[in-house]
Amino acid sequence: MLLDLRLPKINPNMTAAVVECVYANPGTLLKAGDKLFDLSVDLSSGYSQYCPPISYFRVVVREKLWLQKILVNPGDSSDVGAALALFSSEQDETLDAAPARAIRITTAGIAHHQGLWSANQQ
Amino acid sequence: MTSLPLTLGALAAEDFAIKRSGIYWLCEDGHLCRANEVIGYCNISLEKITRQRSGSFPMADEQEFQVAFATPCAGRLKIKAGNSPGGYLNAYGLRTWDPEDVVGHLDAASSDPAAPDGSGRLRLLLLAGRRMSGLADVDFGLLPGWHSRSRAWWSQDTGSLSTLLCLGICDAAGIVRGNKVPFVEFFEGSNSPAAQLVYVPDHPVVPCAPILLEQLERTASEKQAIAADLAAALANTRTPATADDWLFAGALQASLEQSPMLDSYDMLTPSGLRKQRPADAILLSLSSEVQSVLKHKKLGYSLQMLRHRQASAGPAIKSWLSSAFEPVKRSIDDIRRDYRRLIEAIAAKTGARVLILNRMSSSGFEDILSYSPFDAPLYETLENIAAKEMNLMLHDLAEECDFSIVDVDSIAAYLGGAEHLPDGIHHSAAMQSVLRTAIAGIMDDLGPGGVAAAIR
Repeated sequence: MLLDLRLPKINPNMTAAVVECVYANPGTLLKAGDKLFDLSVDLSSGYSQYCPPISYFRVVVREKLWLQKILVNPGDSSDVGAALALFSSEQDETLDAAPARAIRITTAGIAHHQGLWSANQQ
Repeated sequence: MTSLPLTLGALAAEDFAIKRSGIYWLCEDGHLCRANEVIGYCNISLEKITRQRSGSFPMADEQEFQVAFATPCAGRLKIKAGNSPGGYLNAYGLRTWDPEDVVGHLDAASSDPAAPDGSGRLRLLLLAGRRMSGLADVDFGLLPGWHSRSRAWWSQDTGSLSTLLCLGICDAAGIVRGNKVPFVEFFEGSNSPAAQLVYVPDHPVVPCAPILLEQLERTASEKQAIAADLAAALANTRTPATADDWLFAGALQASLEQSPMLDSYDMLTPSGLRKQRPADAILLSLSSEVQSVLKHKKLGYSLQMLRHRQASAGPAIKSWLSSAFEPVKRSIDDIRRDYRRLIEAIAAKTGARVLILNRMSSSGFEDILSYSPFDAPLYETLENIAAKEMNLMLHDLAEECDFSIVDVDSIAAYLGGAEHLPDGIHHSAAMQSVLRTAIAGIMDDLGPGGVAAAIR
């Protein structure tokens, strides 16, 4: 069975997020609790202003599955609902079928850290 | 219905004549005003009455000096023609302040219990700004331009006037300086006339406890050493300084050399100029207390800047920041120690009361079922854990030190964090209003009841 991860609407005011970290590699078996992505959400939508309202979130998987494809790179901006990664329940599955459902994840607000893509852009 | 002539009211400055510009209106003719609504303003300046032009002037370092007008009661505004010539002629102080000048009329509803009996004296809100540079002038607007310090106070002849100094980042700035017209939101909602608000921005230094303490205790020779080191950084030919570097360095040096907590203030009142002692209360933000600060490797002083501020620096300053400083981690105990030292130093120097905004510590934007995926210590990884532990630290510290906590956490939880504090730092107008009431309550020694009343 194929599964996918689309950018969730973590905050009701957000329209997009920037991929800050990608933690997992395609072809690996992920277990519940493994880190997938760090994302930044800028509620000012990138408009330069007095103090940008940016929050950082970590996305963690909550079930055992195979990571088949990462569809984004650090620094990419994705719209809410855009596909971020493709998964499967078995290791060797064809990727032709449509995903049956979204994977189960946990999202949590995290502190800014030096591993973030944006921390290394200044 | 009573038609009240809106007169300017008294302002006096002993040996100085008060000159004023034309009137700038913040609302249209016919506007239905609330009581205490700020409806317009003018620029003012002080000029010596004698022919002697030299000598010291009060407020000489505050190039922006204005008076805003608030209505004495609710009613419909009728603007009198002839007070606003427009163009540059509206900006210059061509007129002498006359308390009996009528700038308009207010058709006050007689049912308004606040309507005064025949007197339409405007309430005067004075505003003053110290420019970051004399170059940072903007001709028009209320407190326009870039200020290293701005302040406002009601013109009143009260015996004692309390001063609240805001040294916070966005969460505190929004409460005190507001997000519409500078200071007006706080003053329009405040019943107490006996308050001056002072705002010092985080341009470019974050006002966290170790930095504020060092500002308070920095000697003249230490300031010289910092200035010399900064000049050397800009002269480094390997990374040529750009215009952004020089502008940033000037603001940085000015910030490191000042200690706003020790500032005293010249005040213009109806009966004359008076000197106001340093701030009675200082508003700080727990959100300023970051887990890592920069320490200068050679001179040992602390520095911290918000990331979007650092981005304003040019290549020479960025290079200097990365080579001359090292990041030093701060545990929660370190932050507690820094706060205690700061609060004790303030008490010894000025006796000011410290108020600290705590942090929103919960979020509706996460769904953590287990903490096992997150690296320990959790307060270094998860924002909400960090906020909870910092809030608890403040409560513990309050057992040792005399200061007040402004409970952002409980107010946000009550109002709804998702709607009123979506990123954990920037408040909605409704939340700012409640926090202003809470702060005014603390300032009036109402204690926790003030906060509860504000929420109700």
